[in-house]
Amino acid sequence: MSATTERATVLLMEAAHAETEEETGVFDLRLGAGEFALVLAPDPARAALFADLAGGTVAAASGRVLFLGQDWARVPHDVADALRGRIGRVFHEGGWVPHLSMATNVLLPLLHHTRAPEGEARDRAADLARAFGLPGLPLGWPHASPSGDRARAACVRAFLGEPSLLILESPLMEGRVPDLMARLRDAIAAARSRGAACLWLTASALVWDDPGLPATERLRLTDFGLRAERPAR
Amino acid sequence: MNSHAAIAPSLLARIGAPVRRRAAFLLLMASLGLGVLREAALGDAWRRPVRAEFRRVLREAAGGGFSTIAVTAALIGLGLVSQAIYWLGEAGQEGIVGTVLVTVLVRELAPVLVGFVLLGRSGMVAIVELGAMQAGGQLRALQGMGLDPFRLLVLPRVAAFAVTGFTLGIIFVLIALLTGFVAGSLLGVVQLSLFGFLDAVLRAMGARDFLLFPGKLVMIGALVGLTSTITGLSARRGDSTATLLPRGFLRGVLAVLLCSALLSLAV
Repeated sequence: MSATTERATVLLMEAAHAETEEETGVFDLRLGAGEFALVLAPDPARAALFADLAGGTVAAASGRVLFLGQDWARVPHDVADALRGRIGRVFHEGGWVPHLSMATNVLLPLLHHTRAPEGEARDRAADLARAFGLPGLPLGWPHASPSGDRARAACVRAFLGEPSLLILESPLMEGRVPDLMARLRDAIAAARSRGAACLWLTASALVWDDPGLPATERLRLTDFGLRAERPAR
Repeated sequence: MNSHAAIAPSLLARIGAPVRRRAAFLLLMASLGLGVLREAALGDAWRRPVRAEFRRVLREAAGGGFSTIAVTAALIGLGLVSQAIYWLGEAGQEGIVGTVLVTVLVRELAPVLVGFVLLGRSGMVAIVELGAMQAGGQLRALQGMGLDPFRLLVLPRVAAFAVTGFTLGIIFVLIALLTGFVAGSLLGVVQLSLFGFLDAVLRAMGARDFLLFPGKLVMIGALVGLTSTITGLSARRGDSTATLLPRGFLRGVLAVLLCSALLSLAV
């Protein structure tokens, strides 16, 4: 944790959130630029709630959540949306707009938040798609694409636009896309080297325990919030 | 006494719940309608994905609805326009053909029928699309990526439906008049040339009709868009197309009829 104080803080969570009257989770996390937190979250609903807290779409019951020094609870709605444009996310349930093609879905956040020419955005997305093992920018429809392609496309969408924070909810689809691991590890390393922080939520103890993932922190998401914990090795 | 106290709130709740639900829907319609007007005027709201969604919905609603409108208008032309020409001619009242057609076809029938076609052809699609997104958690994903679902989904649909309503309404009236004229000519009851006939219709239109006709088409189109998007986005847990579509259809039909009647009374 000492290194985090030297780096620019990307995400700071000092918050509590009550899922039920009995269960209040405490979330205490500081992620600096280039840091990588790996969180074991067996319950997908709780993982989604935590990701939404970090991304500012769910308000904390108490405390504060800061992204790039901005408190989600205090920034105006349109500023919060613009800040979320700096976050690359992989969603547990996919988050694909069903009536848009995969290519449009992948490009949607970048075209919305930036003025990058569309052709240039397509080229960058196609390069990233190849880096994640796709032949190019996927052109089909979300419901007609194989789950492996959707997992890779979700990574392309998350990493496109060089985000400051990556929030990855089960990007390997709980082990259903095992060959994505090495490519994702490389992409995370490249993102960290340019100063992005990474928050990876996984339901798989094997992924969480994987020594090949160079996480700076390993945490567990429980009924009572985030707990720092060493993997049992 | 205790049992009375327990029953009273329950009874009141049962009576009040549907009233509150309908009032909430009307308030939501009003607030989103104002929101659309406000956002539509902001250049920042029309970013590339919003413009692309507007073009997509416009293409599907106007392009897809064209053939339905053409067939409906041709049937109305045969059934209403040619009959009006025929029977008014029989009664020696050819001079009021234009007034009758403007009053019945242009002011009342065309906007309502275009609204129904728009609701059935495109409003139902919007309900299914947005209902599926609400149920599938895609709205959460959009918000998580900093994409405002109102701007990305509601604004372009309502705007595209308003433009479509106007476009299809003009096409409807033109096809209905032309078909009626051709049918009347084939029956040998039309004494005027085509331009004379169209001129008679145009002359029968007052200044208020030039305001009411496009106003109704745009308003009805926008209301179909609003009722459809609200119904889709307010899908609750357990809702399916079997529950959403009848709800959206009823709301849309009521909105079209109420809008048409109120504007006719007002103008």
